[in-house]
Amino acid sequence: MSLGIEFDKVVAGYSPTLTILNELSFDAKEGQITLLIGPNGAGKSTALKTLFGLLSPRFGDVRLDGKSVVGFSPRKILEHGVAYVPQGRNLFGSLSVLHNLELGGITLKKNLEERIEEVLERFPRIRERLGNQASTLSGGEQKQLEVGRALLLRPRVLLIDEPSIGLSPIVSKEVFGMLRKLADGGATVLMVEQNVRSALKYADRALVLEMGRLALDRPAAELLKDPDLNRLFLGGKKS
Amino acid sequence: MSDFLQLIISGTATGAIYALAALGFTLLWQASGTINFAQGEFVMVPAIVTLLAMSYGLPLWLAFLLACAASMLLLGLGFKRLVVDPLIRHGTIPLVIATLGLSIGVKNLMKSSYSAEAYPFPNLFPATLFSVGDLKISVYDIGTLLLAGAIVFGLQAFLNRTLTGRAMQAVAQNTEAATVLGIDVKRMVLYVFLINALLAAVAALLVTPTYLAKFDMGDTIGLKAFYAAIIGGFNQTRGALLGGVLVGILENLMGAYVSPAYKEGVALMLFLVVILFRPEGLLGRVEERKV
Repeated sequence: MSLGIEFDKVVAGYSPTLTILNELSFDAKEGQITLLIGPNGAGKSTALKTLFGLLSPRFGDVRLDGKSVVGFSPRKILEHGVAYVPQGRNLFGSLSVLHNLELGGITLKKNLEERIEEVLERFPRIRERLGNQASTLSGGEQKQLEVGRALLLRPRVLLIDEPSIGLSPIVSKEVFGMLRKLADGGATVLMVEQNVRSALKYADRALVLEMGRLALDRPAAELLKDPDLNRLFLGGKKS
Repeated sequence: MSDFLQLIISGTATGAIYALAALGFTLLWQASGTINFAQGEFVMVPAIVTLLAMSYGLPLWLAFLLACAASMLLLGLGFKRLVVDPLIRHGTIPLVIATLGLSIGVKNLMKSSYSAEAYPFPNLFPATLFSVGDLKISVYDIGTLLLAGAIVFGLQAFLNRTLTGRAMQAVAQNTEAATVLGIDVKRMVLYVFLINALLAAVAALLVTPTYLAKFDMGDTIGLKAFYAAIIGGFNQTRGALLGGVLVGILENLMGAYVSPAYKEGVALMLFLVVILFRPEGLLGRVEERKV
């Protein structure tokens, strides 16, 4: 199994005086869901943004399949097969569902219709709402559309931040199940999630971040059984 | 009744010109968070350039095309690169102050380098009337309305029916989500600046026969366009259209039925009422911003 993502002593933040990632090193493997957890401010979302080129590391290296992607623009990262679904609502509410999907494929030179059809086969509920304004979809449908739009480029790596936020437990399960299928198909999924217990059931590995550093790296199933899970998640010391 | 209808028609024509300039305000705000208080001067410059080109013997249409090109280059690309790009990262207020300064600078530059006099501007449409029953309708009003309407509908079609237009809307609605999808945000924002410059040039072509070409002709139209954009809703293009037309019609009615002395104050009064009771504008939506 080859490496999908590697962070090597990455230092990054939102300004020269605000360092969030503090020599962060970890890896995420192909065909697995790697879950990033930790207290607020630990650097989970910052790690995703740094990998996607929205932030530049001040030190260290970020590699995809062994090749450094530091300094790459988000568009170039997309071309390398990485898609990113940020936290919160990311749809263009006044545009139709179909137009949102089309924009997901704006970097494609051809085969857009074929790719949209592929996504609609995966998400039949979205097909029923194609002509509707994206803002009229339910929370679960919106998240499906966001993920579907990201999958339009057939990414090898999917970065997803808080996919279950604002969703009911049933819809959250659907979303996690969908990510599981994606990873089983060979994609690398790097997920940030506060709903830790639910996410761990679908993940392969869990990485606990504290103060911008990797505090713990354990198989998800093992961590799920750990009686100290809450303390670990809230930022306690590793045992 | 026929007087009333005539006032409505001519008010709608004037309002359509305000709407063109107001549309620029809303487009720039939505795409880049820019409030351009030099918008009136963006109307004045192409008017003067058109006159200058005509003084070298060019016909109106060719002089206007030249003015459009100059406008897009200087007031679109130049404004973005030299004023907006360096300042936008410091927030809205420094940029607002810079556009106020730009307004004063451009006016005075035009006054000292061109002329302080007002010059007549050729009318695109004949100043004749035609009758429909009791109604006497001005060809100029109808022509203005049709041209402004065609520009507005053309712009709406571009924004709604093309992938580039929808990408521009996407950038305006959620810049981070647009970046994440690989949309070329910088290019889309540049397109908005170019469109704004073009809208201002068309407004110049339509409004200058009435206002006359003068260094300070932009004061009135810039201010009324700003009021129109706020009245309709600063974050909605259709709000700018409604605001522009409302201001144009109410000005005409006020001038005819109350007193011409109050005509110029209508936009300000309406603006104050909207700000007090519906600050997001008649068609605007409430925006939440992180602080």
